[in-house]
Amino acid sequence: MKDGFRQSMAWLHTWSGLLLGWLLFAVFLTGTIAYFRQEVTVWMQPELHGSVPDAGTAERAVERMGQLAPDAAQWTITLPGERTPAVSVSWRPADAKPNDRAALKRATLDAGTGALLEPRETAGGNFLYRFHFELYGMPRETARWIVGIATMAMLVAIVSGIITHRRIFKDIFTFRPEKSALRSWMDGHVAAAVLALPFHLMITYSGLLLFMTMLMPWAVDLAYDGNRQAYFAESGFRRAPPTPRPAPQAAPLTPVAPLLAGADRRWADRGGVGSLTVTNPGRANATIELRPAESDSIGRGAATERLMFDGVTGRALEVPPADPQPAAMATGNYLMGLHLARFAGPGMRWLFFVSGVAGTVMVGSGLILWVVKRRSQRGRADTRADARADTWADGPEPFGHRLADRLNIGVVAGLPLAVAAYFWANRLLPTGLGERAGWEIGVFFLAWAAALLHAPLRPSRRGWAEQLWAGAALFALLPVLNLATAAGHLGNSLPAGNWLLAGFDLTALAVGLLLGFAARKVGRNAVARKAAPASALPAGAVVEELT
Amino acid sequence: MILSSLCVAYAGLLALALAMDRHHEQVFARRPSARTSRLLGWAGWLALALSLPPAVMAWGWAIGIPAWLGLLTVAAAALVLLFPHAPRIALRLGPAALLCAPFPALLG
Repeated sequence: MKDGFRQSMAWLHTWSGLLLGWLLFAVFLTGTIAYFRQEVTVWMQPELHGSVPDAGTAERAVERMGQLAPDAAQWTITLPGERTPAVSVSWRPADAKPNDRAALKRATLDAGTGALLEPRETAGGNFLYRFHFELYGMPRETARWIVGIATMAMLVAIVSGIITHRRIFKDIFTFRPEKSALRSWMDGHVAAAVLALPFHLMITYSGLLLFMTMLMPWAVDLAYDGNRQAYFAESGFRRAPPTPRPAPQAAPLTPVAPLLAGADRRWADRGGVGSLTVTNPGRANATIELRPAESDSIGRGAATERLMFDGVTGRALEVPPADPQPAAMATGNYLMGLHLARFAGPGMRWLFFVSGVAGTVMVGSGLILWVVKRRSQRGRADTRADARADTWADGPEPFGHRLADRLNIGVVAGLPLAVAAYFWANRLLPTGLGERAGWEIGVFFLAWAAALLHAPLRPSRRGWAEQLWAGAALFALLPVLNLATAAGHLGNSLPAGNWLLAGFDLTALAVGLLLGFAARKVGRNAVARKAAPASALPAGAVVEELT
Repeated sequence: MILSSLCVAYAGLLALALAMDRHHEQVFARRPSARTSRLLGWAGWLALALSLPPAVMAWGWAIGIPAWLGLLTVAAAALVLLFPHAPRIALRLGPAALLCAPFPALLG
């Protein structure tokens, strides 16, 4: 019975993992990059690279807003921080409706001079972030359902994987790359899964939580009679600044420097002031609201501490303290906060990134394992030349195996290639191009489609090697592309200690080297196979253990 | 603080790995005695427990625990990659990590 149970769990693990595996791979890969989405966006807007913040940045920005939008009902100024060098501002025109987000106007200011910057049109890291939970080019709700179902399959695969793999702690450090392909892929898959297991469970479960009101709306609909906005408002997850109601009398705005100095001291361990919202600027009832750069605790979302001042006298105003959250809400917000990593400083962000890479490797190796395992079960004829690699000892490779293998190539090797192509498009497409952000995304999908089409046209190993080499070259040469097209290249960013920009280039280089390493390994194995035809796979024992 | 936690976690995981026959053999080319194995196991768990406080001190409980788990992942990944290719280096990094561990804590 016990074996029967584990067998059925193994079956469940295999099929829940495989059927949505390609989608999950894309979700994991783009989601991992999304931990650095702001950094990616900054890299993709070289026009911002020259912006250097100083002590007068906030004051300068407020002054500039007075010229840019003197009659606006509300200004929001987001100050530069560790993750972005420029000031982003938005304002609500006097005639806009209070809840109309589309009416907001936005601009970017140089932190050092206050000059209006015109960064190139790009979706930046946001595209990869959005793609990881709502795909692209289909109705948002449909896409979220698809990703939600895949996430559920992921959770099933993780839990059934834990049950299947009974020797988790005994095998925790085991990796035998020198053994058979099946053995080393199995080790790699298990290592990636087990080492970051807490992360995998957290990220998958919290991913489902983020879709909670969409996947399971009934409780909210019942309690709030279908009015979900009322639920969000009451849950305190979103807290809006005061609604502008401009007074008729004009009055000059108080100098912001003293307010900021006090707030910066108060929030010294939270990155100082992160943003300021000025409501009714230039009017007698103006208010200034300050928020810290980092939330004080994970999961509070927008309901974090803030400071309010009278915008004319500079007097501090009473702010109602953030409401204590009910335990269930706090728990949910905590898990969702972990998923989004909004609270995370650079160190923590890297830890999440590494765990995300482990997750991507776990899904990718699982997909490859499916093919490798079936191949070794069939007893592959290793003596044949690569060009005829699709011929098997006992007949041609079954269509299903070939399909899975080629999909693996086009997704596991092809998607990194497409991401690299997206970055290349960012620099090579002319800046004045209409719908430019759409073109960049178009290049991403064209590159990916090319990889998916290329895979079935080539023998398996060559397909792998070619796409991995292409991805390696595209990534490794990104720093060179940056050197040729922007001022924020390594020659400048490293001496200036600008890790925001240097981090991207160095990571791209590292990814390029890793892909190159993988490509070389695939190529070498092909040669080794031809040289040593007798290296039969020890199929029997291992396979038995795996099924 | 973060580096302290990582160093101690690495040393702890190394001890736990060396308590296992397979990895002990990879490094020392022989199996550990039952006594050695038990001692290494206890030392490993102790070090793992000691690697948690620096993370909690740096980040607080809410973020410290996920951060600590992330550090364990990084340390274990280093071991997994080092064992098959450079077992001696994996071994020597253990004492080195323990020696380095107090310094980040002293510095900040």
